[in-house]
Amino acid sequence: MNPDRVRLIAYLAAVLAVSIIHQPLWLALGLGLTLLAGGREAGSILRRAIRAVLLFNLLISLSYLVMAWLHAVSPWQMLLRLNLRVLLLTSLTFLFIARVNLFRALDFSRNLTYVLGLAYSQSLTFRRAHDDFRLALASRSLRRPGLRDRYRASAAAISWFIEKSLHAANQSAQALRSRGFFHD
Amino acid sequence: MHIPDGFLSPQTYLPAYAAAVGLWAYAARRVKRDLDADTLPFLAAYTALSFVLMMVALPLPGGATVHAAGIGLLAVCFGGWMSFLAMSLVLAMQALLFGDGGVTALPINTLAMGFFGSFAAAAAWKVLGRINENVALFLAGWLSIVVPAILIALALGIQPRIASDAQGAPQFFPLGLSVTLPAIVLPHLLVGLAEGMLSILGYRYLKRLREKLTP
Amino acid sequence: MTEMRYRVVKPALAEASPSEKDTAPVMQAIDIQHRYGDAEILRGISFALHPGEKVVLLGCNGSGKSTLLKILNGLIQPTAGHFMYQNEPITPKRLRTPELHRRFRHEVALLFQNPDAMLFNPTVFDEIAFGPRQLGLQDVSDRVNHWAEQVGVSRHLSRPPFSLSGGEKQKVCLAALLALDPKVLLLDEPTAALDPRSTGWLIDFLSGLGITILTTTHNLSLAPELGNRALVLGEDHSLIYDGPIQTLLADMERLAAANLVHTHRHRHGNIEHRHTHVHDWQ
Repeated sequence: MNPDRVRLIAYLAAVLAVSIIHQPLWLALGLGLTLLAGGREAGSILRRAIRAVLLFNLLISLSYLVMAWLHAVSPWQMLLRLNLRVLLLTSLTFLFIARVNLFRALDFSRNLTYVLGLAYSQSLTFRRAHDDFRLALASRSLRRPGLRDRYRASAAAISWFIEKSLHAANQSAQALRSRGFFHD
Repeated sequence: MHIPDGFLSPQTYLPAYAAAVGLWAYAARRVKRDLDADTLPFLAAYTALSFVLMMVALPLPGGATVHAAGIGLLAVCFGGWMSFLAMSLVLAMQALLFGDGGVTALPINTLAMGFFGSFAAAAAWKVLGRINENVALFLAGWLSIVVPAILIALALGIQPRIASDAQGAPQFFPLGLSVTLPAIVLPHLLVGLAEGMLSILGYRYLKRLREKLTP
Repeated sequence: MTEMRYRVVKPALAEASPSEKDTAPVMQAIDIQHRYGDAEILRGISFALHPGEKVVLLGCNGSGKSTLLKILNGLIQPTAGHFMYQNEPITPKRLRTPELHRRFRHEVALLFQNPDAMLFNPTVFDEIAFGPRQLGLQDVSDRVNHWAEQVGVSRHLSRPPFSLSGGEKQKVCLAALLALDPKVLLLDEPTAALDPRSTGWLIDFLSGLGITILTTTHNLSLAPELGNRALVLGEDHSLIYDGPIQTLLADMERLAAANLVHTHRHRHGNIEHRHTHVHDWQ
């Protein structure tokens, strides 16, 4: 079993463990350990994790605060536990992404590795293209574009993505065939 | 629906994983059997397509935007199982490669959006497709958003009841069904309208494309 | 080819006269740095553009040219440094003021590398009319017809832009941008996807425009056609040259450092050798 697969299993085990530990102290310790394991990237991991969960957690925390106040219960233990747990799990995931080659971890299935790899690389290309579509409309608009223009711009982008997907699918099928991936 | 990790209890996500894994295994076999050797590249392409469709901002009057997912479109054009696999891949990719969404929320999202969303859409298309194409497409799109929204609202809303400590304080998502159902389902009734429109227009475009490509 | 062929600078591309050079720069980049995540994209970029100048931004793929252009079009906020347009600092945030936004977007136009990203109107006519209509001008039709004729897409006016070839799409994009009469034109690798005939057309067309133009390319052979001043982005993402293009072309060492020339084995009959050179592009 290659080291990446071991790390994947360790990560999943850690996630499960964090889900069954409920004392904030242990969760805080776990967060500290995770950041320690992050080494030089600890700061970046923590920053990204906070950014990823801030809005949603704030919303839920405030809603619970209101509810707890209405029912005259103390919300602090629960809020601390919840937010620590969410932050810990998100940090663990970012640490995982930084340290583990997912494709190697999943190489027990050639098909899975292939599909995931191809989907991922196309998604990156699409994400860049999507940015260009968005920026191009901003660049050409002297004032906030109207509904009709925004609609047309989105429709043009979507059509382009559909067409590119079909084209890419055909191309990679041919490429795979030529490399002997399929036994037909 | 990118819920961070930590809001769903193991009592929820472990059984969900079990169900999801079973369905994935079955779907993989179904899809390979029904289609030919080209399945993999097309599955990768639909995954990337769905990924980017989730990024495109669909405009609403008043300057607001919503994001669709293309589940309805995928399910209608390529079948429920293919759509289920593509959606599962997108969610896994987002969680484990892009850091967007959690690995504990993954099975719930996969079942809600990927499975029930896809098959609700496929069912609408099967039942109404021959009567009125546009209505069927619109309903497929709408259901592919609303059904998952209801299921996710249920999954989150029951957390306080099934996972609270001895003092009664919730250990995971802290708000109950009376909050989650309206808070999540109502906005998605509107998002579903955008998805419905996307399904109609996307289907027409795809049909024209395929006619152009196949001689 | 083992030598660079020097081309005589045509009068239309003559460098701005000294009196013009003394006028205030229309655009000034001041120590622009940009990072994306952990990757450095641009490092310490400073230069000035004067009215009427035709400047070529050279750099190998991945050197940050596209990003720099998007920063100069106020689409991306650089991680450090700033740039000025007509002595006013421009950032995406400052562009939220409607007055500045309108003026800037009117006067500075960006041609994206992928023309598909820019086209979204139902017909070529609507596409070119998009800009003028936003200005509420009265002579929209005249403008559209004029620029369509200038770029040579008049016969496509009622067709959807998506149905055109790559070169024609590029022309429609150009017409759409020029229909606003911008003062500065930023072009991102405009020749990368064009066939030879369209490239020839583009070079002639650009040299005939009187406005300030900044063009990026990684094609060294075309560079002298696109401007008489060169900015070079090195592989280290900093500006390693800013000056006359002819001087640059004679500096093989600097060109090699920027990954704009290459070395490989050459065969002439029975003789095989290798040296740094560029292939003359036909």
